[in-house]
Amino acid sequence: MKSSPPSKKNSILPSLKENWITKNPFEEFKTFALSTPVLPLDQIVQSTEAIMDRIRWGYEKLLEEEAKELVWMVQYNTIIKAYEVAEKYVKEIDYTAEDIEDFCFALENTQRIPYLIPGPAGIYISALCNYVKEEEIVLKLSELKTEINLIGFRLPKGKRLMIEGDTGDFTGIGLEGGELVVEGNTKNWTGAGMRGGKILIKKNIGLHTGEWMMGGEIYVGGRVRGLGNIVEGKVYERDKLVYPGKVRYPNLYY
Amino acid sequence: MEEERYQSIIEEIWFKLKKKHLYPEIPMPKVRGVPAPEREEGEGAEGVGLEMKQKQMTINGAFISQMKDKMPEKRVIEALLDHGITHYTFCPWDFHTHLRLYAEAKKVVGDKDLAKQVSSYFIDVIADTHCVKKRFTEIPELHRNLKKGTVQEVIASLYQRIWGIDLGIQPSKMSGKGQADIVRRLARIPYLDRSRWGESIQKFARSLKPLLVEEQKQQGDQGGKGGQNPQGEHDLNHYSNEEIDQGLRDYARQTMALSEFKDVVEDFSDELQGAGYGMEGGMGRGQGNPIDADILFYMKLAENYSIPIKKVPLEEKGSLHPHSHSPWEIGSPVQDVDIWTSFGKIMPGITQIWTKREGKGRGKKEGTPDCLIAIDSSGSMINPRKSLSYAVLGAACATNAYLQNESKVAVYNFSDAPMGGKDILNYTERREDIYRVLCKYFGGGTALDLEDLMPLIQGKKNLDFFIITDMKITNLEALIGFFGQIQNRVTAVHIGDNPYAARFEKAVEKRKNISIYTVKRKEDIPHIVLGRIRDYFNPTHLKNS
Repeated sequence: MKSSPPSKKNSILPSLKENWITKNPFEEFKTFALSTPVLPLDQIVQSTEAIMDRIRWGYEKLLEEEAKELVWMVQYNTIIKAYEVAEKYVKEIDYTAEDIEDFCFALENTQRIPYLIPGPAGIYISALCNYVKEEEIVLKLSELKTEINLIGFRLPKGKRLMIEGDTGDFTGIGLEGGELVVEGNTKNWTGAGMRGGKILIKKNIGLHTGEWMMGGEIYVGGRVRGLGNIVEGKVYERDKLVYPGKVRYPNLYY
Repeated sequence: MEEERYQSIIEEIWFKLKKKHLYPEIPMPKVRGVPAPEREEGEGAEGVGLEMKQKQMTINGAFISQMKDKMPEKRVIEALLDHGITHYTFCPWDFHTHLRLYAEAKKVVGDKDLAKQVSSYFIDVIADTHCVKKRFTEIPELHRNLKKGTVQEVIASLYQRIWGIDLGIQPSKMSGKGQADIVRRLARIPYLDRSRWGESIQKFARSLKPLLVEEQKQQGDQGGKGGQNPQGEHDLNHYSNEEIDQGLRDYARQTMALSEFKDVVEDFSDELQGAGYGMEGGMGRGQGNPIDADILFYMKLAENYSIPIKKVPLEEKGSLHPHSHSPWEIGSPVQDVDIWTSFGKIMPGITQIWTKREGKGRGKKEGTPDCLIAIDSSGSMINPRKSLSYAVLGAACATNAYLQNESKVAVYNFSDAPMGGKDILNYTERREDIYRVLCKYFGGGTALDLEDLMPLIQGKKNLDFFIITDMKITNLEALIGFFGQIQNRVTAVHIGDNPYAARFEKAVEKRKNISIYTVKRKEDIPHIVLGRIRDYFNPTHLKNS
């Protein structure tokens, strides 16, 4: 029995498979463009993101290069070496003080940065603060869950760094004439090895304060838990001079 | 007259506005008249331009009248409506987002009123910026002409910066107390990126906080309330009761943290009470009672889970139906006479009556029995008022399931019951009462007093039993013995694995009316099937056992 060939009228597909053309039913929409004006906000956000990417990249590089040196063990040589690496990356970036603050929060909140190590992060943030254009830097870090160590490292003369919130160990070490203000508490070894400048802690300070300090002043609004072996410089507790003085001895816990 | 004119303007532009905003489901806005006291307040008091209650937007006629010297009325109305519609179509979009933004702001500012203000400003900035970017709008013109306080000036300066439109704010005005610095910080926030609103509002709050604190202090010194937001206040009036329900449900599910939920609910307690939340009735609403945030948390969280209940045949016998004929005798009921086969005569030997039989299977009705929930609140269990308790959540889900099936629930909350560590609630449909007993925590030893259960079980032909515990019960053997005697469907849920639970499982494994579930995570709760009987479709074991 012969079957009659299907009539062309009823056929949905072309007879030859080779002639099948896949057509996008939404083809016409390709040319459709929603005319939305570009606001200055878009440019600001875009450039902020670009800067943040650069800062983040520098931090990741620092971690890559310095993680093996166990920088968080805090030996002075490794700190210097890590700082030099941080300086190298930071110098290439054009950023503002707000970018530094954003970076601090990005360290905690963004998934793109794999880890926050208080030591290297502190060195990197210090380098950022030391090389930023502004002379006065305000970092509102009260909501930061992590207390960052080593913040204010080598703060040079003419710079004023104000931190809202608490900081970790080794705050303001090696200070080089700058002014560091912490609105909250700091932990141990604050101002260790500082050569000049001023550290103002509004609340309490930990042990070994001013260890091997060579100059400058530390003002504490609250209590000093313990002083370190101070070479030269002054430490005030609630406006009262506690070093040099007879009352306090190095590493005394009180 | 004025009102009518404004209403006709709205009617004229409403279709165009709806089209512009891609046809949101919002009713036609209304115009509110000028109340007498406001008229007397004079030129300075423009008040609120737009009110939003549920989805009904109401334009304040007085505001339009006062603005008409600065800007044509039609454009003012259009700008206000653009703003209002964007709240529904973009930000905050729903009550859950509003709560989330508020909670994030509160983490930074720490104060309820400040957090409300921050979230309100943030929502406005997003809505207006979205509108300016995506739609042709008169909002910039409105901002140019609005009367501004210190914070509003900073916000207007922010708009000027991020929109690139001159709003008449001179840079010299921004010199005070680092306002330029605040604007610079605010301008860096990605307002239109919804996925980053959480971190964005924190940054927004951090930047704006000093200004708001100062303003609050000044208002406190003056002993007055702060100025109103001319574009309308952002309170719970925006949302319908269903949206509030849904928002609380989503917020409870997403945070899963009792303390955070409690914090937010307590902050909004006045508004929630105003919206009818007093923890009464089926939806948890009703006037007059203070809001218990812990109970509301479990109530809303439990609404996210649905536990199925296997129904049971409540009626085994059907009604009588005519089955066959039999001869009529004197004394037989006349109403059973079949007049068709009796040829219309009442005569012994001729007249026939219907013999009736009970219908097998007919009239059989499936339903859900009442449930007795026993919940362990001993020291080994989590205190439900401190952190999320899976035991209470599980029991709450079971409660919802029975109440939704129009059954009643009784609760036996026990810790060291023989020593008085217990709370008993008789069968009730009142959800709030049930939750209150479920949330009670004794924190002592663990022992059941079976004597307490008897009055709740006796006289109940059909009754389900639901027990949730970690099975670390001193008199576990007595409980096992008790379960050995009863024929009721028992759903036993144990929290976590331990040797006691294993012993219980082993002891009752042959009992087909007992189903055992383990809850280790919240995700395990929906797997519970209430009243499951393993061979439900072959209920012979009921007769045999």
